[in-house]
Amino acid sequence: MRAEQVVVIGNERGIHGRVATRLAGMAASHGVHLFLRHGEETVECSSILDVLALALARGTAVGLVAEGAQAESALAAAIEIINAQDDSDHDPPG
Amino acid sequence: MTHPDKEDNQIPSGRSLQGIGVSPGIVAATVVVLKRQTLRTGWYHLPADHIEKEVDRFAGAIKAAGDELLHLREKLADDLADALSIIDSHLLMLKDRMMVERTMALIRNNNVNAEWALAQALSEIKERFDRIDDPYIRERFADIKHVADRVFDLLSGREHGPLSGEDQPVILVANDFSPEDTLRMQASSVHGFLTEKGGITSHTAIVARSLGLPAVVGIEHATSLLTTGDLIILDGGSGRITLHPEPAELQRVQEGNRQDRLLAEELDHYVHLASETMDGFTVRLSANIETLGELPAVLRFGSEGIGLFRSEFDYFNGRRPPSEEQLLSTYQQLLATMAPYPVTVRTLDVGGDKFLNRFPGNKAWLDRERNPALGLRSIRFSLYERDLFRSQLRALLRASVHGRLRILLPLISAPVELRQVKAIVAEVLAELAGEGLPVAEDVEIGMMVEVPSAVVMADVFAAEVDFFAIGTNDLIQYSLAIDRGNQYVAHLYEPFHPAVLRMIQQTVEAGHARNIPVSLCGEMAGDPLCAPVLMGMGLDELSMRPAVVPRVKRLLRHCRSEELRRIAQQTLQCGDSEQVRDLLARELPHLYPREFYQG
Repeated sequence: MRAEQVVVIGNERGIHGRVATRLAGMAASHGVHLFLRHGEETVECSSILDVLALALARGTAVGLVAEGAQAESALAAAIEIINAQDDSDHDPPG
Repeated sequence: MTHPDKEDNQIPSGRSLQGIGVSPGIVAATVVVLKRQTLRTGWYHLPADHIEKEVDRFAGAIKAAGDELLHLREKLADDLADALSIIDSHLLMLKDRMMVERTMALIRNNNVNAEWALAQALSEIKERFDRIDDPYIRERFADIKHVADRVFDLLSGREHGPLSGEDQPVILVANDFSPEDTLRMQASSVHGFLTEKGGITSHTAIVARSLGLPAVVGIEHATSLLTTGDLIILDGGSGRITLHPEPAELQRVQEGNRQDRLLAEELDHYVHLASETMDGFTVRLSANIETLGELPAVLRFGSEGIGLFRSEFDYFNGRRPPSEEQLLSTYQQLLATMAPYPVTVRTLDVGGDKFLNRFPGNKAWLDRERNPALGLRSIRFSLYERDLFRSQLRALLRASVHGRLRILLPLISAPVELRQVKAIVAEVLAELAGEGLPVAEDVEIGMMVEVPSAVVMADVFAAEVDFFAIGTNDLIQYSLAIDRGNQYVAHLYEPFHPAVLRMIQQTVEAGHARNIPVSLCGEMAGDPLCAPVLMGMGLDELSMRPAVVPRVKRLLRHCRSEELRRIAQQTLQCGDSEQVRDLLARELPHLYPREFYQG
């Protein structure tokens, strides 16, 4: 099974450490390979450093590809993780 | 000043160092300076039959480092969610192909030792991260280095000694600590730490805050300026380090900490007493909160109302903005629990782009703002997204029959905003009347005074609102042009800047000239050094974290109003913040010796 979707990153800080950590954990628990595609580059979410090194900011469009038996549900979970906000975003700038 | 028992030949001019306070609390203790040896990147060539053994040795170190992290993770309390997430990310970094597979490939391809190969892999990762523009993501290289450093230690056979072998309380000093180091400081004799590196958003700082461990970062050359055995006072709030404190200073800290310990019992006594001076001058002491869960604490500590309810929580709790009914339920409980005390609810105070983009279904995505602090936020956002604002106003006004409601409008900077809000409120009231929904008669509408223009025009605004609430955190930021989250300028954020004090005074006078009450709800309100000055300026209400209310109340009850007024007037004559601090350090302990320990 393979599921694929392009999403625009809604998280204020883009795909930062916590989001990357959650993506990797979710992919492992769903038993899928999860890939992020940005421009020419495709990285697997199991490598947090590869994901961080893409430096994906909010508003960037990325391709999400999940491969495995639970590809569909993993894809839905990945989208949710990418758009979730941190607690730290509670504080307005002032 | 000289110290007969100690030559401070390493100390530069002055007796204090200024860093960035990242985790509040004041401690006095001797320091233990930890210096890392940098012997790790030696290169040696391996005979072919040693290669796989070397790979195994590296794999063993990775495994051991991972086991340590898992072990630490198991011991953590569940409520340390930030720390758990940080450890999880470190576990992933430890297993990352850029770290593990790359190092192994380097060992095999170059017939070299694991230390050299890991150092090489690390510098390749660093190269990639150096190219990243986003400072927040680039900063994560610090985490990668923390993880790799532990592997280097394990490769060289260095076990984790206890961070401090001392039984006496100590303050640890190092170039940097990892979040894991910080977690290991818990439940040991470590009472605080300071580092050369780091910033307020570093993971190490986040962990220190969640543990309540006082910490100061960003003191350059701290490991050479300080020597193991030096006695210091560390203030994790202000970021100040006092070297070789005088016995009297030390005593004040110890006395302060002793008082803190005794405070809980002693302050119980004050919870039910009136908040008034010895000569009967009253100041309402109320609480700043953001969730209903804090109400028990508000009542336990004897607050006489909510001076600031930050209403953002309901909006950040779901995947779409809250319904009117959902908000109504929150506000009803809030007002009913606090009745008959007043409850001041600040309307939605968010940055617009950050807020709207939370809801992926929302079509009205805003462009990223270049300068969010000066952008579409707070009341400006509410006036832009009127349906959201109306829904909040409807919920507030419907809840008003359950208690005493005061609606607080944030970031008002021009009279036209106030007129627009009033027009919307009038429409909403007419709507509710048409629907037969009751609204209390005594709902008050006030504004935050937190922008310099609001201070300058306070006399005009005072005629338009029922109360003023001075928000000092933003007022200081906007008037001094200081982003306190910016490590390069944070030290210039200064509540005792005479400009700030004069603006507060001007606002109080303008409010009182129109017979409207003036409250203050920044961090200054709960600061034992600031509160007496604010009381002397005639503020009618100080709103603070619930837990500090008894302490401020005790302070108030030991004061006389004319002395407070005199001190406040003197501070207004001061030319700079140092003079203000000197004045207060001179006047306040003398007047109320039991209340003060900080100079």
